Amino acid sequence: MTTVARRPRDRRRVLDWVAVHSLGLALGLMFALPIVFVFLTAVMSDSQAFTEDLWPREWHWGNFLEVFEQAPLLTYLGNSLLYSGLATAGMLVSSIPAAYALAKLRWRGRNAVFMLVVGAMMLPPQVVAVPLYDTWSGLGLTGTLWPLIVPYFLFDAFSIFLLRQFILTIPQSYVDAARVDGCTEFQALARIVVPMARPGIAATALFCFLYTWNDYFGPLLYTSEKPDQWTLSLALASFKGMHHVQWNLAMAVTLLIMLPAVVLFAFAQRSFVRGITFTGVKG
Amino acid sequence: MVATLERVDAVRSAPAGGRSRSRARHRLTVLAFLAPAILGFALFFGYPLVATVWFSFTKYDLINPPEWVGWENYAYMFSDKLFRVAVYNTLWFVVVLTVARVVFALGVASVIARLKSGVGLVRTLCYLPSLAPPVAATLVFFLVMRPNEGPLDSLLGWFGIEGPLWFADPVWAKPGIAAVMLWVSGDLMIIILAAVLDVPQEQYEAASLDGAGPVRRWWHVTLPTISPVLAFGVVNSIILALQLFTQAVVAGSAASGSADVTGSTKVLGFPENSTLTFPVWLYTQGFRYFDMGYAAAMATVLFVISFAATALLVWRMRRASHQEEGG
Amino acid sequence: MRRLHRAALLFVAAAMPLTACAAGSGGTGQAGPAAAPGQGDAFTLTVWSNYSGREQDEVTKALESFKEKFPNADIRHEGSQDDDKITAGIRGGNPPDVAMSFTTDNIGQFCSSGSFQQLKPYVDRDGVDLGQIPDAVRSYTEYKGNRCAMPLLSDVYGLYYNKDMLAEAGLTAPPRTTAELLDFAKRTTKKAADGTIEVAGFLPTMLFYANRPPIWAPNFGAKWETPDGRSGLASPEWAAMLEFQKELVDFYGHENLERFRAGLGQEYSTDHAFHQKKIAMMIDGEYRTAFLRDQAPDVRFGTAPFPTIRPDLYGIGFTTGTIMGIPKGAKNPGAAWELIKHLSFDTGTIVDLANGIKNIPSTKAALADPRLEVDENFRTFIDLAVSGKLQGNPVTPIGDAHIKAIGDFATSWQAGKVPDLMAGLAEVDRQIDDQVAKSGK
Repeated sequence: MTTVARRPRDRRRVLDWVAVHSLGLALGLMFALPIVFVFLTAVMSDSQAFTEDLWPREWHWGNFLEVFEQAPLLTYLGNSLLYSGLATAGMLVSSIPAAYALAKLRWRGRNAVFMLVVGAMMLPPQVVAVPLYDTWSGLGLTGTLWPLIVPYFLFDAFSIFLLRQFILTIPQSYVDAARVDGCTEFQALARIVVPMARPGIAATALFCFLYTWNDYFGPLLYTSEKPDQWTLSLALASFKGMHHVQWNLAMAVTLLIMLPAVVLFAFAQRSFVRGITFTGVKG
Repeated sequence: MVATLERVDAVRSAPAGGRSRSRARHRLTVLAFLAPAILGFALFFGYPLVATVWFSFTKYDLINPPEWVGWENYAYMFSDKLFRVAVYNTLWFVVVLTVARVVFALGVASVIARLKSGVGLVRTLCYLPSLAPPVAATLVFFLVMRPNEGPLDSLLGWFGIEGPLWFADPVWAKPGIAAVMLWVSGDLMIIILAAVLDVPQEQYEAASLDGAGPVRRWWHVTLPTISPVLAFGVVNSIILALQLFTQAVVAGSAASGSADVTGSTKVLGFPENSTLTFPVWLYTQGFRYFDMGYAAAMATVLFVISFAATALLVWRMRRASHQEEGG
Repeated sequence: MRRLHRAALLFVAAAMPLTACAAGSGGTGQAGPAAAPGQGDAFTLTVWSNYSGREQDEVTKALESFKEKFPNADIRHEGSQDDDKITAGIRGGNPPDVAMSFTTDNIGQFCSSGSFQQLKPYVDRDGVDLGQIPDAVRSYTEYKGNRCAMPLLSDVYGLYYNKDMLAEAGLTAPPRTTAELLDFAKRTTKKAADGTIEVAGFLPTMLFYANRPPIWAPNFGAKWETPDGRSGLASPEWAAMLEFQKELVDFYGHENLERFRAGLGQEYSTDHAFHQKKIAMMIDGEYRTAFLRDQAPDVRFGTAPFPTIRPDLYGIGFTTGTIMGIPKGAKNPGAAWELIKHLSFDTGTIVDLANGIKNIPSTKAALADPRLEVDENFRTFIDLAVSGKLQGNPVTPIGDAHIKAIGDFATSWQAGKVPDLMAGLAEVDRQIDDQVAKSGK
């Protein structure tokens, strides 16, 4: 340290480093501590969970196995992956072109259409569900996850909005340059915008995946009468019975539900980083 | 997607022509890019919106055909005491959550962006909570902030502070829920972080050449560049606040001592209706008191007001950002 | 005798327009009872309930016993289906054949909207003796004379007291009047020097644990409706109940009480305050005996009817339970009725299920059945159930809006935020009447 901090400028840099990193560490801890509580509760005995006693008196690692015995978690995992995977894929297919059209193409009525996209997020989902349920029911698709997946292949206001905002941050000159080079709009989108907006696209995809992963209301409405169609988040509720709550198991399932999402995030992180380098090189 | 590809190819192979033809081609391109969205919009937004507005003028118990009652549902809002309470609670969340969430997420993202080592770890830790299912996240906070014996009160106790009753106190219940929402705001953080890291490096270099320090670079380069993403953060937070439902129901239910986390209607809003948000009351009226007509009227009011507010906001932001671009 | 006659007439009069209306509505209405399936017929019945875990397994066992009558029946039982889901299923045209609901709050809506089909034609056709069902249970399975549901066991509420804690205060028998309850509560309470509550004798906080207004009301003689059918909370009985609560709150100090209460465990978890010996007395349902036996075997407790405001009321109490009906649009209503009849009236099935999930049987025959497992503490609730003095949930077309309204009011009142009790109650009445008027039912 002392060797580095010989000159005042270096010392300032060291102080800066220390300040930023302690702040980062404090933030990390603040965010992590409640998760630690979840973990400690998950390995407690049923009778200790949610008491004031925070440290497990006995470590019940078996809780993680017990949840597999109590519920066919692998089936639910498959359903969750199907729902989140297809929804995310569908969202990317439908939302990227729409977001591009809203961000980089000039046409009359663009602002009005954009406002409609924003407006689409503002109807309370509980109310929208009433007419929609009747429609899906008429198509005979209730009891499956399709009423939740199909809309993503057409329209997801949230993702279009988010992607548009990301694409807006790409300087117009890049797109114009591509057009001058004779690219069609589709080529400009595929060759310039998509690579440059990669962190944004990764973030949006991650978002979409996690939203559907944790979606409780949708699967409850459409699949609750068909347990072989349940998702993990819906199954979590079955650990909270009417007359007895098994907090420890509920928390163990919570951690298990989070696990795939954490793995996914670990991968998605890399694409953020690559995105940055790419933009840097390009510049 | 297949349709989109084909249309674009068709457009490309079309012979180049005059101005009007290129304009028509441009219009077709736009249409091709938006086609799935237009269809989806009509089906999953247009239709439910029309249905909701229609329901709002009827008496509808969800089972029997709606029965036209004119403005009756709207008139009832004026005599519904809890309607006013719900409006207040939701406005509180809109103001507090929007400011707190965006500032907090931006702050954390800015710190992470400047980290040189341990970036991955800190980023993951900050993001981790937003992976938790909303019900679980709220219960965790309920546990941590449990009065008297909860870890947070123990911690405050070391400093000689007697913590409030948090979720059981009408004054502190809303801030408690806001804390949950901040804890799970990792998604917005990541979005802002992605935008911050996306700021073209040469812009920083140019600013550095002008002799700008880190703070000035942040203010003059980072902020303006990521402003579209911040605008997203603001609008997203407003919508989140307007639709706050699960966390409010779970917090109220848990704090009332009822383990029925999906919420027994009797304890919705606990304590003293301080967590009765607009969507919670709307849901209660529609599905628990079987008055979908009134619920639809509330939804329509919510939609009109929030749409108008957001439109104004987006419009002003766009104007501001255009000015930035111009200047 | 004359009163009974008049009641019967009223019943018929109330039922007439409803049946006439249903018949007049043509194809969508009910023409009459659907035919019962033949003994050997193969058919499938779907049943939705809100049970989960162990309780769901017990109910499935009870459903399977239906095969003794119809060996080729196939019954699909789906748990975790709440009332929202039932409504959505009916609206979407894919309801189950039999729907079970945990709450009796929605019976008014189920009957008046036609969500649940009328059962009277079936009852009449099969000559079912509804007198087998205790009066209070009968009242919470119908609305304005329209029988659209049948009971599946019931819950009965009474007083739980910790024997050791009462003995420590020199008390040998449970309180019988609310005045005694107040006195006992004070004597069993332990406060620290600064007023902090260490042990509370009895908690008056409304909407906490089973402290719900409908559960308390019978013991104070409080009625929900005036004789002309309007909300009747602005009455001396309701006022007396709230005064009782306020006196106890003032004894603890509102701030102290809130701090104590907020630190207590959840209603259905092992750290429930009564399990943890943090409260000496409480009102709760019969199912608590099983919880205490399993989770807190060291708590020496007794049960008794909940104290009443007047000695002559003693032995009164509140009852509720699971209800089941045939949803509108059910594929196989004839067979669904047979299943409902089986669950509501087959003594063996009821007794087995009652033993399995520790609830109170909902027929007189099953209540008297020797196979019913009854210990000393459970006996109290069986006695209450056969007493004929129980009262059910107030049935309204507005769900539980009225319960929330009075519950909210009691909370404000206890916090000292209500200057004029009677004026405040009248305001709550107006609120409830408005909501009912809005429903148009």
